[in-house]
Amino acid sequence: MTNLDWTLLTSTLLFIIVYGVYKNHKDQNIDGYLLGNQSLPWYHVGLSVMATQASAITFLSTTGQGFDDGMRFVQFYFGLPLAMIVLCVTFIPIFHRLKVYTAYEYLEKRFDGKVRVFTAFLFLIQRGLSTGISIYAPSIILSTIFGWDIFWTNILMGGMVLTYTVVGGTKAISYTHLQQMIVITVAMVLAGVIVVMMLPENIGLVKALKIAGKANHTKVISFDFNPKDRYNLWSGLIGGFFLQLSYFGTDQSQVGRYLTGESITQSRLGLVMNGLLKIPMQFLILLVGVLVFVFYQFNSSPVFFNKVETDKLRTSQYAPEFVAIEKQYNEVSEKRKQLLISSDNLDNQQLEVYKSNLFASDSVAKSLKGQVIELIKKNNPSASTNDRDFVFLRFVLDHLPHGLIGLLIAVIFAASMGSIASAYNSLAATSVVDVYRKFSKNTPSERAELNASKVSTVIWGLFCIFVAQYANQLGNMIEVVNVLGSLFYGIILGVFLVAFYFKNIGGTATFWAAVISQAIILGIGIPQVILKAEWIAYLWFNPIGCFLVIGIAWILQRFRFRIGDSK
Amino acid sequence: MKDNNNSPLGQFDNSVRGDELPPFLKTWKNVYILVAGTLLLLIVLFYAFTLLFA
Repeated sequence: MTNLDWTLLTSTLLFIIVYGVYKNHKDQNIDGYLLGNQSLPWYHVGLSVMATQASAITFLSTTGQGFDDGMRFVQFYFGLPLAMIVLCVTFIPIFHRLKVYTAYEYLEKRFDGKVRVFTAFLFLIQRGLSTGISIYAPSIILSTIFGWDIFWTNILMGGMVLTYTVVGGTKAISYTHLQQMIVITVAMVLAGVIVVMMLPENIGLVKALKIAGKANHTKVISFDFNPKDRYNLWSGLIGGFFLQLSYFGTDQSQVGRYLTGESITQSRLGLVMNGLLKIPMQFLILLVGVLVFVFYQFNSSPVFFNKVETDKLRTSQYAPEFVAIEKQYNEVSEKRKQLLISSDNLDNQQLEVYKSNLFASDSVAKSLKGQVIELIKKNNPSASTNDRDFVFLRFVLDHLPHGLIGLLIAVIFAASMGSIASAYNSLAATSVVDVYRKFSKNTPSERAELNASKVSTVIWGLFCIFVAQYANQLGNMIEVVNVLGSLFYGIILGVFLVAFYFKNIGGTATFWAAVISQAIILGIGIPQVILKAEWIAYLWFNPIGCFLVIGIAWILQRFRFRIGDSK
Repeated sequence: MKDNNNSPLGQFDNSVRGDELPPFLKTWKNVYILVAGTLLLLIVLFYAFTLLFA
């Protein structure tokens, strides 16, 4: 990083934060702090919704996913536009007309207090854990650049966002999201263009994609129905639909964004914007990852992308072994490069030979990487052995021109700060509205609620920082966040769908159905996480959890709670 | 969903602003068709992308 990078990085971040806080400094009441006085236009709502979902994880992990696994991850988002339609038709009019602060408030109006509190509790646990991972993501950047200890980096990052969130409110978050999305779009398009320009002279975008295709990195759509396969058309459309419906419809970090819309129409248009733009945006980010993959086919690639761990190896007793493996890896990379260059205009027989040679060199490269991981584990048993999330960052720092490095690091920071701030705000809103306000003996004054919101933000911030300290043990971050969400979202969505569409089912049946269904999903999901096995791909937890709640609630209502449960 | 005391609609505050028609496409149904149609188009384009570069 040069002075130019540092100047761009600090000025971009300072401008975003100062402008955001300035815009909200007059709104020191609970309505302004939690709902932004419901005054924002559709483009603010749309960009805020998109920016909340697009955290630093999106840019680090999704590009890593593109690099490692190709384009197929985009199928994960296929259910999103359909979910936006359902939200516009059902959720938005109900939340707006009931004038709720949180989605869970509605559940008490429809059912009773215990359903509201249980659902809010599930949200708080899930969002608190996910936000911890969102803090860890930008902390990797700092620890990689400066060689800082990740423990203190998490504290610094979580604490910095915490200060900004306590001072600003939800409106400040929405205003900063607008600027963040502009910076993010410009920087990612620039990054994609520059990667193509850095490829060898005779390799353009089309040829680069053909090279990626030979390594099976351009397969976007898979029609094969396989419950164990994480990403195919069906898991994306069905599982993704339930996950996105639950995320946008019942996760307060998103509900809080579109409730800031100045009318039902403005909130709806914001979600329509998200439905139209989200998939192309994810496609673009994955494409950048795939192009980075092609770049490393022609340039020497690190055997392991987490430089902090490889630097530790170089100064350890394992240094000679590591250097030897690194040398072999570079030789394999060079062979691979020659193979790729000579891969034009092959007939079928030559193509088969080419593929088998490519496959062989891939196997050797993977084996060498495995050996490095073993050395890293021996040298530092607590080290993360997942380097996929480091790919894009390492590429940016090693190869992009100065100026753009600062801008891209600013993008990652800004994105993570925006989504963490949204999460803190939603955790505080739920804690105050659904817990503090509900269990207060006397109705709290507006000032007391505002103060409670700020105190609650601090407590949740500390909890999230604590979680961040363990996030490096969990694997690819964007998948971890989605697995965590899938364990809880289906149940929460099921509760809301019972509320909207099954008016004869009451609170007690719904409450016990949610408790039983959550136990079942955790019973299946936690062993999968612990054993690192996958009997059912995580996206399917969403529809399964949702239908379990609806089915069990219906049975309980019909056979157990029919009498004396009028709601 | 009908408006009765057991449904959330029974407690609606109808003074809330803005259940208006959308700009450009005249009805919300048309807007939703646009969103679903765009998804379909993207899936077709992605499939073509898969075939083209596989």
